[in-house]
Amino acid sequence: MAPPILSLVLPSETGRVLSIQSHTVHGYVGNKSAVFPLEILGFDVDPIHSVQFSNHTGYPSFKGQVLNGQQLWDLIEGLETNDLLYYTHLLTGYIGSVSFLDTVLEVVNKLRFINPKLTYVCDPVMGDEGKLYVPPELVAVYREKVVPVASMLTPNQFEAENLTGLRIVTEKDGLEACNILHAAGPSKVVITSINIDDNLLLIGSHEKEKGQDPERFKIVIPKIPAYFTGTGDLMTALLLGWSNKYPDNLDRAAELAVSSLQAVLQRTVNDYKRSGYDPQTSSLEIRLIQSQDDIRNPEVIYKAEKY
Amino acid sequence: MLRSLSISRSQSWLGKIEFRIHISSLLKSEMAPPILSLVLPSETGRVLSIQSHTVQGYVGNKSAVFPLQILGFDVDPINSVQFSNHTGYPSFKGQVLNGQQLWDLIEGLEANDLLYYTHLLTGYIGSVSFLNAVLEVVNKLRSINPKLTYVCDPVMGDEGKLYVPPELVAVYREKVVPAASMLTPNQFEAEQLTEFRIVTERDGREACNILHAAGPSKVVITSINIDGNLLLIGSHQKEKGQSAEQFKIVIPKIPAYFTGTGDLMTALLLGWSNKHPDNLDRAAELAVSSLQALLQSTVNDYRRAGYDPQSSSLEIRLIQSQDDIRNPQVRYKAEQYQ
Repeated sequence: MAPPILSLVLPSETGRVLSIQSHTVHGYVGNKSAVFPLEILGFDVDPIHSVQFSNHTGYPSFKGQVLNGQQLWDLIEGLETNDLLYYTHLLTGYIGSVSFLDTVLEVVNKLRFINPKLTYVCDPVMGDEGKLYVPPELVAVYREKVVPVASMLTPNQFEAENLTGLRIVTEKDGLEACNILHAAGPSKVVITSINIDDNLLLIGSHEKEKGQDPERFKIVIPKIPAYFTGTGDLMTALLLGWSNKYPDNLDRAAELAVSSLQAVLQRTVNDYKRSGYDPQTSSLEIRLIQSQDDIRNPEVIYKAEKY
Repeated sequence: MLRSLSISRSQSWLGKIEFRIHISSLLKSEMAPPILSLVLPSETGRVLSIQSHTVQGYVGNKSAVFPLQILGFDVDPINSVQFSNHTGYPSFKGQVLNGQQLWDLIEGLEANDLLYYTHLLTGYIGSVSFLNAVLEVVNKLRSINPKLTYVCDPVMGDEGKLYVPPELVAVYREKVVPAASMLTPNQFEAEQLTEFRIVTERDGREACNILHAAGPSKVVITSINIDGNLLLIGSHQKEKGQSAEQFKIVIPKIPAYFTGTGDLMTALLLGWSNKHPDNLDRAAELAVSSLQALLQSTVNDYRRAGYDPQSSSLEIRLIQSQDDIRNPQVRYKAEQYQ
């Protein structure tokens, strides 16, 4: 008799997450940014590394290996043969090709076949600040095939615009974008960063019952004058973790996630300054390990304001 | 075989991130940011860990990286394989890195000045060619940081059985052991490396002395069966030629089999011996206490689930035992040998 999977069999406030993201040997992006925080929050995380690179692609160079769709599927088949495919959550982030994204869609179907209640948390990574940084063909695949199967979606402003065809200039636009996305699929939508009138906002929306008005809120986020890598991946992981703990209070989950993230970023900036480096000089690796207490037990400084 | 990708950006560091900047330029220079884990004072370090990755379960890097991160280390994992699960299951599927692909990653790091590590950690290695590539990594890292601490778990087998290709034994003995700073063999591996049979505690201590003479100043034989008891024997030769400080810790036998415990133990020894560099006994007490608490929790949890823990080998409850890793209650004390 094979041993039971304890993360499923024993009662807990956490779950069993399959996370398909990049792996960089050095630095904190992709799975390096998402897995540790979820583990700190008590989740068993099964990472599939879609690539293994020396460092992220923002450095002057990088070297490494890329997984293709078949190799991803081999891992899924390996898990299936051992009855290891019952997951409570699936998490995906940056995906670099249509073929890999199509395979991920097959993974979603497979996992949902085994657990119809699977929560698919999807960060539809496509670009930022007006610029696409994935092949343009992915946009339609996200819009038409991925969004409809997501349980929770965490686009930034640019991605929300691309997925809805709507330009987001006001908070009302942001809320409308969430409604469009709810109608297409996910019951939870968090637009993780929106620039409105020079303020940075997060807008969250939870459609508790299909057809009902969603509960919506915003959180005003301070702008930190620096650029970081890995923050989107970290944010989505934190939203997964906290929204699992507070399934009916997306606003509470978002407050905790934002507060953790801001603490990580502030510590990162302070630490670069302490080392004598001007944090505005280049993009920064986040101080994830040194901020683990802020991830485990965030002090909620940023409050949600309900609409 | 994984497809290899090697890209060099013709754009400069500044050029790559230019698109994210609203105003003309915030960038004052082309200076790359410092590696904070090296530049800022800390009790931890920057570890390169070359081990297996399994999607599910806790062995290799899945067992070693999280504990070190909990202890405050920045860990850079190179995954020597990516398998669905460990090879003790009825089947497994996945991909294996070859020596060249390992070296590609090292070159990628080198091109970005990212090869200064305080520690190198290795565990299970499945082929002579990969082990030879690892030896080149040791040399490369030491040429950049001569004070590199290489913590080597010379994984070869257990309980009288070899579970790596036999050709590896000589490579470990002749080439790897001389390069290691700390070695964490089990009883079988210590016997293989010293060609010395360990029956008594005195034999265990003698094996440590043989290993010191060959290379590592710190040796921990992580589990030895003597007269029905389970012991750990640790030995620290503080100065070449001096007598080593040696100790033992008696470990309770837990009637169950686990996977990943050796990988976890070596990681904990790395972590705690970095914090207590002159007190290997203290480091071992903390490591053993963490491990035992985790194993006990694991057995209890399987029982709670209605499963007899002796039915098969068990995956450890690593995530659920993180407090025991961060702040172990020291229950198992070291007894110094005089």
